[in-house]
Amino acid sequence: MNALSRSLAVFALLAAGPGSAADATVAYALTNLHWAIYQTPDGKAECPEGFNEGNREQFKKRFPEAATKRSLQATQLQWEIDSWYPTTADDGFHFLEAHGPIALGLNLDGRVGPSDFTSPEGEPGIDNQLYRALGCIKNYRFPDGAIQFFDDEMIGRDPYNRIIVEIAGAGDLVNAPHVQVTLFRGRDPLLYDATGKKVVPGGSQRIDTRWGLRFIRQVHGSITDGVLTTEPADLVYPWAPFFLPTDEYMHAARLRLKLTPTHAEGLMAGYTDIASWYLQMMRSWSTHHQNYGQTSAPALYRALRRLADAYPDPATGANTAISSALRAEFTQVVIVPSSRPDAAALAGRQPTGPYRSPP
Amino acid sequence: MGMRATGRASARIAPSILALLASAPFAPWSCAWAGSQETEPYLQVPMPPHFRVEATELDGPVFADPHGHTLYIWPFKIMRVGNTGDPKGQSHCTAVKTTESTGYMSPYPGGLELPELDTRPSCTQLWPPLLAPPDAKPVGKWSLIKREDGAKQWAYDGSAVYTSVLDREPGDVLGGERYDNEGDSPAVRRPIGPPADVPPGFHVSNTTSGRLLQNERGFSIYASDADEPTKSHCDAACTQTWIPMAAPASARPHGAWTIIERVPGERQWVFRGKPLYRYTLDSRATSLAGSDEPGWHNVYTQRAPPPPPGFTVQDTTSGQVLADSRGMTIYWYTCGDDALDQLSCDHPSDTQVYRFAMCGGDWQRCLRTFPYVIAPPGATSHSRSWTVIDIDPKTGRRSSGAQPGTLHVWAYRDRPVYRFAGDQRPGDVNGDGYGEFRGERQGYNAFWLRDDYFGRGG
Repeated sequence: MNALSRSLAVFALLAAGPGSAADATVAYALTNLHWAIYQTPDGKAECPEGFNEGNREQFKKRFPEAATKRSLQATQLQWEIDSWYPTTADDGFHFLEAHGPIALGLNLDGRVGPSDFTSPEGEPGIDNQLYRALGCIKNYRFPDGAIQFFDDEMIGRDPYNRIIVEIAGAGDLVNAPHVQVTLFRGRDPLLYDATGKKVVPGGSQRIDTRWGLRFIRQVHGSITDGVLTTEPADLVYPWAPFFLPTDEYMHAARLRLKLTPTHAEGLMAGYTDIASWYLQMMRSWSTHHQNYGQTSAPALYRALRRLADAYPDPATGANTAISSALRAEFTQVVIVPSSRPDAAALAGRQPTGPYRSPP
Repeated sequence: MGMRATGRASARIAPSILALLASAPFAPWSCAWAGSQETEPYLQVPMPPHFRVEATELDGPVFADPHGHTLYIWPFKIMRVGNTGDPKGQSHCTAVKTTESTGYMSPYPGGLELPELDTRPSCTQLWPPLLAPPDAKPVGKWSLIKREDGAKQWAYDGSAVYTSVLDREPGDVLGGERYDNEGDSPAVRRPIGPPADVPPGFHVSNTTSGRLLQNERGFSIYASDADEPTKSHCDAACTQTWIPMAAPASARPHGAWTIIERVPGERQWVFRGKPLYRYTLDSRATSLAGSDEPGWHNVYTQRAPPPPPGFTVQDTTSGQVLADSRGMTIYWYTCGDDALDQLSCDHPSDTQVYRFAMCGGDWQRCLRTFPYVIAPPGATSHSRSWTVIDIDPKTGRRSSGAQPGTLHVWAYRDRPVYRFAGDQRPGDVNGDGYGEFRGERQGYNAFWLRDDYFGRGG
């Protein structure tokens, strides 16, 4: 820990108010977030058949130029209908899933199953079926996947996405058996350095109690060897990558973050609600934008439903959620005390349920 | 009325409408200081003979032809692929019916046959050019352009001028589209009007809650209940948060605008008896955030008419939306087709093929996904902006009230409004941006009244 980090740590702890080190509270703002995609340099290990076709390619195959003039209603609008009101019916296009034994993520169910992956560090039982669906779509691959880029970029740029994680009882950030973790939404811009690219610690954040109550959630956790792990909890979190208020819903979400006084990074994993995920994708990324990195929305929807592995619908038995993981990076911030809601406003808050499509 | 000298004026809305507005209390639109009867003052500018200015409920004062029909222009716009609209000095709106798509909006190709060609109008059938007599002479910003057939057409500030077949009475602006003409929206037509009578450094813009007064950079102007017409009670500590709008030494009172002297040499603008301020915590233009502070309000040159009784306002994760009596978000539908003439497709008189696609593909499904907002029996409107219309749900078009299956629905700007079946609780806006290009090109958009994060509604 350098001098600056030590100073900031002390500042953060002091800002939290009087008390012992065990009472220390530290807060971080989310600065980067993207779906955890395991990639080899050329992609051939996880995508041996190459990458998926996008909507432009499939549109051309499905509606080839013909001697008679094609109608806008039967082509363009039909594609939009199929994207906004997707089904699981086979459309004849072959979807390329990600393969291989390795994926990023967490063991969500405590078991090692036949569909599970092994983490790059060798941990077995990794549940991340969303990776199978997204891993071979260029839009979601680093560094040039357009959706991956904008999803990530707008986390920092747009205050709607200002997720704050506050850890109470954090002690020395190395070992604390019982911590209380509160998720808020902040309402202020991040503090950037002179390059305008890098978020620096110590910025202030007001908690958004005007519009952000839906995002407040408290969970229990622990810190072991500098790694925060939280207990599973259903979570709704803001993620608006393109100027519309869109949110995500994750069942049994949990954090595994490596902590330092100035930064936190790691994974947020759980079972992503498919209807909520797909709605967020469609509202954020038009057919045009999906085309930047070869997403075919109807094909992706079928893959999500096929790979769904949790939370069966009581009526149909079909799974409604898919195991998933996000890579997340945070930078330390100071919460403006006067913006803090009282304890009664925090305790026992439960997320509203996931989105359900119209009949 | 011939050529008029430059001066100041205030158009008037019909007294009967004013009475209705005044008798329609609705919290978000009521404002302790701003009476809903006031219309926006404007500068009188030279106009062609017999042209006039009409007050409108939503767009402020607009120019009108001698019959009172609102005048519009079609601003040139750069699309995703290519551009359209009228360049200065030319009209691209012709009597030739467009039959195929242009491919302005990738990834779809051009050359696709447009819907319902047998009934598709030409551009000039929907937007009749405002023709000028052979002896017409330019005046002020009004000039004359020559159409392809040799006819003379009026132009304002270089842009060809039209009327809309949707407008029926003086003061109608039914040809106007939603306020946002940016991003991936169609190249829409816009009503034109005289400049607002505001001092240099001020600006007025359209929002769903009224004509919002701003500074020249778009930041909102506020007023305090604690102030008096001749005195500000915002002291030194207060001015750390609320910055008085300074009036230069050369400024003079006029019309609704007066000036107070806070201390010797420090002058502040006053509008309709209220000293004006900026809010230091506004982080974006067109903000309404300062109105959360007790006693402080945004300032409007005129308020939008209130929605019908029974409508509510709901908080979302981003701001506030108009909602029905159960708190479910209200949506409007926007549409411009991907053709050279960019005809609108969001009015009941337009093709419904686009809307039916975005609500699921057929009329029965549309009634389930984006149902109309049904008006209660006997419901009446308090304004011309909100009306009850009869719709045949099978076609999406107007019907006679006697036709079986007719729905009596609420309409805003003569277009039905909707709910979304994917909204489960008050404050949900899951149908917002539901359509092509995130609902900007054609699709459903929430009726935003305030949006602190994305600026919608302004």
